[in-house]
Amino acid sequence: MGSFLLKRLGLALLTAWAALTVMFLLLVAMPGDAVTNKGGEKALNSATQKNIRAKYGLDRPLIVQYGKFFGNLAHGDLGYSIKNDRSVNTDLKETAKTSLRLLFWGGIVQIGGSLFLGFLSAAKKGSIIDRVTTIASVAAQAIPIFVGGLLAQVFFGVFPTQHKIGWLSFNRFWPNKWHLGVIPAESWKGIVLPAIVVGLVQMAFLARLLRSSMLEVLRADYLRTAQAKGLSRRRVLVHHALRNALIPYVTAAGLALLEIFGIAVQTETVFGLYGIGSKVAEAALIQDTPVVLGLASVVIVAATTMSLLVDLSYSWLDPRIRVGEKLAT
Amino acid sequence: MRIRTPLLAAGVAALAASLLAPTAMAATKKKAAGPVFVDLQNFAAGEPDHIDPGLTSTLTGAQVAVLLYDSLTDTDASGTLVPAAASKWTTADNGKTWVFTIKKAKFSNGEPVLPSSFVRGWIRATDSKFASEVAYHSYIIDGFQAWNEGKGPAPTSAVADDKKMTLTVTLKEPFLGFPAIASHPVFSPLPKSMEGADAKVEESGTKLVGNGPYMLKEQITKQAGGTVNLVRNPFYPKKGTLAEIDFKITKDVNAAYNLFESGQGMSASVPAGKYKDASAKYGDAGLGTVLGTDYWAFNWEDPVVGGAKNVLLRKAIVESIDRGQISEQIYQGQRKPTDQLVPKGIPGYRTGLGLGVARNVDQAKKDFAAWQAAGGKIDTPLRLSYNEGANWDKVATIMAGNLKDAGIDAKLDPFPADGTYFSKMRKGGGQIIRAGWFADYVLYDNFMFPLLDSASIDGDNLPRYNSKAFDGFVSQARGNADLTAQGNAYAQAEKLALSEDVVIMPTVNRANNAVFATKVTNVKSTPLGFFNYPEFIVAP
Repeated sequence: MGSFLLKRLGLALLTAWAALTVMFLLLVAMPGDAVTNKGGEKALNSATQKNIRAKYGLDRPLIVQYGKFFGNLAHGDLGYSIKNDRSVNTDLKETAKTSLRLLFWGGIVQIGGSLFLGFLSAAKKGSIIDRVTTIASVAAQAIPIFVGGLLAQVFFGVFPTQHKIGWLSFNRFWPNKWHLGVIPAESWKGIVLPAIVVGLVQMAFLARLLRSSMLEVLRADYLRTAQAKGLSRRRVLVHHALRNALIPYVTAAGLALLEIFGIAVQTETVFGLYGIGSKVAEAALIQDTPVVLGLASVVIVAATTMSLLVDLSYSWLDPRIRVGEKLAT
Repeated sequence: MRIRTPLLAAGVAALAASLLAPTAMAATKKKAAGPVFVDLQNFAAGEPDHIDPGLTSTLTGAQVAVLLYDSLTDTDASGTLVPAAASKWTTADNGKTWVFTIKKAKFSNGEPVLPSSFVRGWIRATDSKFASEVAYHSYIIDGFQAWNEGKGPAPTSAVADDKKMTLTVTLKEPFLGFPAIASHPVFSPLPKSMEGADAKVEESGTKLVGNGPYMLKEQITKQAGGTVNLVRNPFYPKKGTLAEIDFKITKDVNAAYNLFESGQGMSASVPAGKYKDASAKYGDAGLGTVLGTDYWAFNWEDPVVGGAKNVLLRKAIVESIDRGQISEQIYQGQRKPTDQLVPKGIPGYRTGLGLGVARNVDQAKKDFAAWQAAGGKIDTPLRLSYNEGANWDKVATIMAGNLKDAGIDAKLDPFPADGTYFSKMRKGGGQIIRAGWFADYVLYDNFMFPLLDSASIDGDNLPRYNSKAFDGFVSQARGNADLTAQGNAYAQAEKLALSEDVVIMPTVNRANNAVFATKVTNVKSTPLGFFNYPEFIVAP
């Protein structure tokens, strides 16, 4: 076990180093750099460009920059943004908090909403509720996040405000203060629209999946027998149909939660939130190398650590699998 | 179904506590002494680069910097140069040496504002290690360019006499426009408490200390979702009307406008296509013209459109463009059509320097035919290069359609909105190049020298225009003490570039695009685009 752990740890470190090296090389190979791109409509003169390059060490040979990046990384220093001199460590702390809060509430919308709607649709198959849910699910998956976000702001912000229906107005600022890390201590309405927008697309998909899984289970012989024996409809639906339908649902829900990361980038932009995904995307566009590498390095380290933990968890989940042992052929 | 009661109860209690918390917080929050202004327009499209006056190179960052700091001079709403930290200024040698008399004032930490405070601020802002993008504004002062380039010692050409409260500044060469340049935020003073402060000071608590009407209330979060909170500087002689200004930072103009319309702020940036609706609802106090121009530049080095031999083609292009269509369709009339680069409001401005605002397709056809008859040929459609975003694609589409009417084949040449566009254009990567310019200060020279002088090739001279005659007029203007003669020389330079060499095609004048809640009155802006926040009146 010990040698396996050491080996996997070594492999994880190697993977992280290789990924970061590739990213570093890609960023330096791109035409232009953050300094030449800084000027916009007003150019930076050569002295200013030289000063900025010297300030961030961009005038040093590539190998020195590369070594310095890894040296600083080893000390937990992710550097400073070329765009605005902001500490990438601060950026990471703040963006990660926002992203995790958005994912938490988006996840609740996604799981809670899909369980409720999927169950209701299956239980009331063919009813108006079922049809409306199905149509709404397709629509939710078809509307781009950006459009959906702006529409939500209009229907649940602009319109109620202008017609003085204050209780329906949810277009508020994202809270600044939180209880227990995830419960808003102010302006709770500010989390409603971003959470719904980020969770809606996958919620619609999961609801449809749960509905079809439940209907398939409900058609099974053992359930027809159970109903014929006089088991209540509620018991059949909750204890038998839903429980069995949850197996494929849980697998898909896990993947859907991961997909929220991608959706969150657009949601963060449309609601002006300061999340890790949109920050990396924005920094990559202007070739702000310290920000891209700094934030990406944390994501890469987290991903390789997760992969290591997953490998280790196999033996815990299934005692037949022993870590470090080759499978018998 | 069994319910885990204790867990559920704990969850409900936590939720209830969180819902009740805002009420309790609101009750305990200290009430501000006057109106709190929540701004959603200044940082609607993203966070500022900096708010430090020595560093900020954006209008949005400078808007905050001018509230935190007073430079020597300022520009009022009519475009007139007025005293700010300096009460008066004189020159005895036609603009080579300037003496500014500094008003008695205090920084927001109580330190006195002295002439030496300016020297401290200027030396810091122009230090090569500080790497400021706006340090070049100081190059006109003797020794500052060498200092900024790391080739010389800290300059001694700005001499402070703290007893007499005078600051004597010696320029590299005489320049009568220097007091206007001295209005730029980079020429702000710095208190002793900020001696040696680096670029990160603006996010270190409230250590960024200025002499302007407002000061930082708390540490800022210079990112989307954050706020830059300002409160009154207790030592400022004229008390601002607003007790607090909260500049909210968002990422998307549409989203910020929706927040404004949802009652979350008192001002907003108007998204494209909503100008008429917004001005009808909220008035047009924030939609006035500013000292900026949108234009398209012809690459002077391009074999098809550039050089003296292709002037008839360039004329034909300019004559065929419908500026009115661009103004109406893209900006709903908010940005006004123009055929001149230098906008009204700049001293020395005069009309009749361009080829005319009105479209003349018949003349365009004749000029195009004459160019073809002289051997001109378009093998591949002309490229209308632009960076994506801000509706430049729509402007280019209108232009391509206009050119087609005159028989000139052109196509759209989009570049990603990633900041690389201008660096490529500066190297001659475009043929017909989308560009624009905002004045840094109210001076004719601020449009002529950077945009068209041959010394600015590889910089902001995007057409890479290289004309000895043009350079001569600019040089003549710069060295002329007589303001009328100076204005004439600049006008001759502009006329040469626009009507004779036709190297630039101005399309519309730029304008502010802010709206304010109806309860906000007395909104004005300077021609440089800064709003007069300290004078806003907010109805209860």
